[in-house]
Amino acid sequence: MADRTEKQAAAQQAVDILHEISTILNCHLDRRTLSICISMIENGVNPEALASVVKELRKEGQHAQAENSAAAARRR
Amino acid sequence: MAYQAQLAAQADELVTAITNIPENHKHRDVYREYVLRSIRHHTFVRTNQFEVADRIKGLEERFRVVGRDALADAYRQRLDALEPHRDHTTPDILHFLLELADQPAQKSKLTD
Repeated sequence: MADRTEKQAAAQQAVDILHEISTILNCHLDRRTLSICISMIENGVNPEALASVVKELRKEGQHAQAENSAAAARRR
Repeated sequence: MAYQAQLAAQADELVTAITNIPENHKHRDVYREYVLRSIRHHTFVRTNQFEVADRIKGLEERFRVVGRDALADAYRQRLDALEPHRDHTTPDILHFLLELADQPAQKSKLTD
């Protein structure tokens, strides 16, 4: 039990450090997104393919938000 | 099968985290399928850990060349702190971060 807690604490610490590195590299990743991406990479997802997906989703997210804002403005 | 289910759940979480679109949004499934298709069928090669190490080192040098010594020191400090946590996926994760890096030598702020 104590061993598991220690492992979890070490994993959290590693994510904290990686998040700090991502901030220094100006990756625009919050901690939650980074944690999901780390889990996916640990599950064998190719890092370059994942980075490409993240960039594309950001663009799509911006489009979706612009669309929602336009729809909200039309309703007013 | 469990692996596929886990990947699908992670793809869903990723869509939520990045796009902020609600679960009932009309394009939600399209985005999730896009993520799954893109990570299953791609033409990228496997991470070369030596190339990643070179890029990491090169970036630190670049910070120093452009006079951002404090940023270079902070970067080195984090890389050293990461050493005890290194495992077989660390080069892949660093590769991922390097791919998403957005002109850090020009734009990164230590206050962040």
